[in-house]
Amino acid sequence: MSRAMDGGRAVVRRPDVPLRALLPLGLFFLLALVFPFLPLGERSEYLLQIAFFTLVAGVLALSWDILARSGQVSLAHAAFYGLGAYGFALLGKVMPWFLAMPAAALIAGLISLILGAVTMRLSGMYFAIATLAFTEVVRTIIQNLPEATAGGANGLLVPALLGGNARAQYFLAFGILLFTALVSLAIRRSRLHHAFAAIRQGEETARVLGVSVVKYKLLAFFISSFLAALGGVLYAGKTFFINPLETFSLANSIAPLTTSIFGGLYTTLGPILGATVLRVAEEILHNSIKNGYLVVYGLVLMLSILWLPRGLMGLLRRGKHGGDV
Amino acid sequence: MELFLQTLLNGLLQSGIYALVASGLALAVGVVGIVNFAHGEFLMIGAFLAWALSAYLGVDPLISLPFAALAVFGVGALTYRVSIRHVLLAPELNQMLLTFGLGILLQNLALIWLGGNTRTVTTPYQGSSLSIGELSVGGPKAIAFGLAVLILGALYGVLYRTTLGRQMRAVAQNRRGSQLIGIDVERVYLIAFGVSCGLAAIAGVLVAVLLFASPTVGLVFALKAFAIIVMAGLGNLTGVLWASVVLGVSEALVQTYVPGGGGWSDAVFFLLIFATLVFRSFRGAR
Repeated sequence: MSRAMDGGRAVVRRPDVPLRALLPLGLFFLLALVFPFLPLGERSEYLLQIAFFTLVAGVLALSWDILARSGQVSLAHAAFYGLGAYGFALLGKVMPWFLAMPAAALIAGLISLILGAVTMRLSGMYFAIATLAFTEVVRTIIQNLPEATAGGANGLLVPALLGGNARAQYFLAFGILLFTALVSLAIRRSRLHHAFAAIRQGEETARVLGVSVVKYKLLAFFISSFLAALGGVLYAGKTFFINPLETFSLANSIAPLTTSIFGGLYTTLGPILGATVLRVAEEILHNSIKNGYLVVYGLVLMLSILWLPRGLMGLLRRGKHGGDV
Repeated sequence: MELFLQTLLNGLLQSGIYALVASGLALAVGVVGIVNFAHGEFLMIGAFLAWALSAYLGVDPLISLPFAALAVFGVGALTYRVSIRHVLLAPELNQMLLTFGLGILLQNLALIWLGGNTRTVTTPYQGSSLSIGELSVGGPKAIAFGLAVLILGALYGVLYRTTLGRQMRAVAQNRRGSQLIGIDVERVYLIAFGVSCGLAAIAGVLVAVLLFASPTVGLVFALKAFAIIVMAGLGNLTGVLWASVVLGVSEALVQTYVPGGGGWSDAVFFLLIFATLVFRSFRGAR
């Protein structure tokens, strides 16, 4: 541990992620890459759309998990997702999409630093309530902005991403999920991993060990919100139209949280796996029940907490030690 | 001046319901040590019970109130038995997420079963109003406030004057100590959680009369209750009353005096939460 916390570049850590553990992750991305080329028949357009939103759900869940690794269990993910969507909608009018996208994410990331600074010393339920309140404040502000700027409660038209080409949009989402996964793996292999784990397991102890808690907590917030906002951009650019109620809906905070817990907290593969399973389940249910498909998320969350605290990853790796990706 | 007094009065009346919801939540937090994120959903069940009894059997909500309270007490006790009890010693995070999941589950079951429409309850006294000097008050609002005061009075009477109440307060202070002196902690938890849910249901019946019943009606009340118990300090039952009045009155002031206040008044409690939490965190209490 102490070596990992050393300053300077002399600390060369052996990668503690064995290649074998990366295999399932690689497999997932390979499948996702060839998915649009599979002969899917008449419903291919619909299936591609589901796959697109599965990738977005993966981005959202994995970015939430990165924040959770630093012990900050947030209910504000919808806020940054929404800020990304709104940022893209507004910036997309004045600059090309490939600039508007990172710019929107950067704005969301910077705003997250404000929330992070305010909630710095809160923990547990205080933190959860504060982040929940933050989401509602952001929504209320956007809803009450002049309609000419942000569309008010009615919503806002968004320039379509990549001219509305479904396949191109899919690959963009694929790229962003891949980027998110790479960020997650990079964190796993860097000293950030140890710093986050130390903070999560005991902030006081971490401080004593010499971890600058403030810096790392804020960094976790920034990375997580930046990535979540990229997910928001994808959502906005795909649906052409956003409104505050749906974009900042509590569901967008619940889904990544449930997905990560169900898939397996503090892993890279877990949230992506969880997103795939839950998103497909949601889509199947969506056809049979119009509203209330979130019931799955409620049930899955309860059952995971009661019987599957390590999630799907715990099932996959039962009896094996370490090597979680 | 008259407008100001009317605003104060409206705020005060509104705080009655807030206090009901929040005292239930505070009971769960203080005695059982569970932050119940599904509290609003128990309120929602109460509201729907009042609506169903009124729409199908023609029972006045004021008469169905005790039945709704009892029924939801049962639901709460059952919930405690099958889920909450298993995470009492788990990390706080797991408890929170469990109740959070329960809330989502209940809310969406209601959505599937009953649809997203709002249901209103009609009562003969709906349009009535009371006037005190220059000020006037809607009949249902006054009744709701009166009931809230009565029930809260009864709750505090039980907590401070009966054996069960003393046991609850003892368990709240020290679980192991209470066990050692022979209090059946398990039973106290069960009752406290049930009562907490029952209180939410009573508030729900009143909400059905004053506003409407809908699957999501509980959420906003639960959030406001969180604001109140955060302001009061977690598990502080007396503080809840003051904090409810603060919230009710500040909302009414914003509604009256801020232009376009309707939209902003819903943000008031978030500001209060934020202000309290930030103030606390900088004072260093947790």
